[in-house]
Amino acid sequence: MSMEKILDKERLSDWIAALAKSGMEVNAPALEDGVWTYKPVDGAVRMDHPNTKQPPKGFAFPQREVFFSFEQIKGEAPRLKQVLPESPQRVVFGVRPCDGRGAVRMDRVFGNQVDDPYYQARRKNVAYVGLACNTAPAPTCFCKSVGGSPVSTDGLDVLLTDLGDKYFAQAVTKTGEALMAAADKLFAKASPADKKSVGKVHADALAQPQRAVKDAEAAPAKLKAAFNSPLWEELARACIGCGICTFLCPTCHCFDINDEVTGSTPMKGSRVRTWDNCQFPDFTMHSSGHNPRENTAARLRQRVCHKFQYFHENFGMLQCTGCGRCVSECPVGIDIVAVVNKVAEHVG
Amino acid sequence: MSEQQAYEPKIVAFLCKWCSSAGSDLAGVSRIQYPANATPITVPCSGSVSPMYILSAFNKGADGVLVSGCHIGDCHYMEGNFLARRKIHLVKELLQFIGVEENRFRMSWVSAAEGAKYAEVVKEFVEDLRPLGPQEKLKAQRT
Amino acid sequence: MINIQDIRDTARDMLAKGEVRAVIGWRAGSRGMPAEPAVITAPEQADELVWDPTCYHNLALHLVEDRKFLAHARKTSGAPIAIVAKGCDARAVVVLMQENYFKREDVYIIGVSCEGSGVLAEWKLARHLNGAVPTAAAFAGDEFTFATAAGEKRVPARDVMADRCLECRSPFPKEHNVALGEDKTGRDLAAPFAALARFETRSEGERWEFWQRQFERCIRCFACRSVCPMCYCEECVVDSINIAVAPDTTAEEKANRIRWIERSATRSENITYHMTRAMHLAGRCVDCGECERVCPVNIPLRLLNNKMEREARERFGYEPGASIGGPSLVASFRDDDPGDFIR
Repeated sequence: MSMEKILDKERLSDWIAALAKSGMEVNAPALEDGVWTYKPVDGAVRMDHPNTKQPPKGFAFPQREVFFSFEQIKGEAPRLKQVLPESPQRVVFGVRPCDGRGAVRMDRVFGNQVDDPYYQARRKNVAYVGLACNTAPAPTCFCKSVGGSPVSTDGLDVLLTDLGDKYFAQAVTKTGEALMAAADKLFAKASPADKKSVGKVHADALAQPQRAVKDAEAAPAKLKAAFNSPLWEELARACIGCGICTFLCPTCHCFDINDEVTGSTPMKGSRVRTWDNCQFPDFTMHSSGHNPRENTAARLRQRVCHKFQYFHENFGMLQCTGCGRCVSECPVGIDIVAVVNKVAEHVG
Repeated sequence: MSEQQAYEPKIVAFLCKWCSSAGSDLAGVSRIQYPANATPITVPCSGSVSPMYILSAFNKGADGVLVSGCHIGDCHYMEGNFLARRKIHLVKELLQFIGVEENRFRMSWVSAAEGAKYAEVVKEFVEDLRPLGPQEKLKAQRT
Repeated sequence: MINIQDIRDTARDMLAKGEVRAVIGWRAGSRGMPAEPAVITAPEQADELVWDPTCYHNLALHLVEDRKFLAHARKTSGAPIAIVAKGCDARAVVVLMQENYFKREDVYIIGVSCEGSGVLAEWKLARHLNGAVPTAAAFAGDEFTFATAAGEKRVPARDVMADRCLECRSPFPKEHNVALGEDKTGRDLAAPFAALARFETRSEGERWEFWQRQFERCIRCFACRSVCPMCYCEECVVDSINIAVAPDTTAEEKANRIRWIERSATRSENITYHMTRAMHLAGRCVDCGECERVCPVNIPLRLLNNKMEREARERFGYEPGASIGGPSLVASFRDDDPGDFIR
């Protein structure tokens, strides 16, 4: 049975202060220049964000990281020095359930059969304290129709549910239990009435209507059948290839590796990994100039199929968690829910 | 000796081949003593200096950037320096707009006969750059 | 007020007669609003066209995409293509023609005037609707109306129009083949470059502190570049991916290709990118505001481009998108261009 406690809302900043004092880097949503972003905090915190603009994937998978540095004196073999991240203990507050499920998918990619040492070095030091979504979903949310829920605990270490003047805190993992135990005095036992309240809040949240992918289970087969359909041209007509959908997605993880050279005699620099983006025209560009995905139709198809078909074929789960960022941020209104539904309808 | 005095600003100077670069050569053969802080890069014409060269110089750590060409009316390519005058003005305004110190970027007209002027331009530039310290704003932090 | 039927009739008519091969306009989006760009090729599709305050996209972008598509497919254009263009969009088309990207006769401009009410800035809308979700928007004189589950809401256009509309100098599409709507000017709105002037009251240190924060936040999604009709280069100079590759090109040569910026989205690289783009747009940007609208991390990009535009107007007497026959800003000069800054 998971640890379930009550935390008075005024005590939240005390909990954060205690964690910060113990040496952890505590991050929470903050509004900067109109953008909700995770920022380090040491006390006062806001938890009234709809969702952050960027998902928390950057904590384990940053936009840029160094693999190794190199130096080569001409005529000699290059000397390489691996740079494993020295990642501090981090906790991220206010993570929505869709982003928790996003973390599960990222973990699958970077820890399936082979551990990516850079990702794992950071990931093992990041804990997620989630916040259940108990207000009306945004018009672009659709977690329920892709196997998620506004109160899911997948990928989270603790799930907080807002009960008005207090939080119901449910530890999901051992890490979560340790986080709560670190400030044990601040928490009170959850009474049966509290548990009943939480049950009701969760039930209400689950009952809120959301946009829906009509039949996500059938999506992989439908997408497979529609691969050569001219419908993709129509769906991608407005796409400008900007890359916002991919960079803001909690599960997108493609990357590029480049050498950043800082000196020429001796030659030295670093081998660096950066995020890459399948919506950029040059993502699949060959050095011959040939590009297998040379138009937006092919690239949109790739992204949608990766989310709703390929990932499912490889890992048995849909890669999309319904956070809705790609829908709300697309400059031209391309809507992955509408796309999947239209394709399914077209295939029949 | 204070740290400030020990700091030597690094200047990247884009010099047009026909006038300013020749002018800097004249300073050399005339044995005019002037600070050795400027790394000259010869370009065919001041008008050929792309904003990207300037930005790249700052990105790579230049403390100051100089663009120097022929006097108005004397451009080897007739109009190049007129175009430079416009473009460099825009680059200057843009750099200042984002908060880069005004004294880090400048332009001069130095003819092939003005070796002394070139030396003076560099000397002044170094003196104006010293109090500003190393350029950190646009410099790439490479790890 | 423009009657939507006029837009639809014009489009249907021209398509039916084969006078144009396609019409670029707007249709309703999948959630009702906002509208989305549409390229229709059949007369029957004309009924899909809409004209409402969410038609904020600069459709000149789709003209560029059409031309690129034709170039890649090695097709000739045949009949002209029509574009529904607001005042700002029409100026973008003029710049493209000025640069010989199109010939004038290749494009049929169906000009639409917003008649001074501008277009919507969605982020401004939330506080006026008290949580109600709008499913449609319409022009209503000095107001916008929004259909919501809680009934129709009316909001003064001035309160929710895009910032660039508040400073707009020409809501009427001067360059057009046919123009719908009135040429209304003299609105009581913020003066042109008002936001820029306010920003410039900051000190050098304050300006740097501000811009540093913005450029740290940039994720280099390149949405600003992708949405800009003027950024039509097949290969952007900051991507520098192309290198002429022959069988004997060594790995070292490939690795040492010119790279103006690294792929890392760090402050220094982001600054180089944005400064370069601002310079490349000097004299060409018509302040359609799309770059700022699409930025997912709210970087006030218009400030950079407005700075260049004001310099162009005040120092060089140059107005972007004013005349098809004019020279470009940076490939022309006047004898009295300022030169006092040159030693």
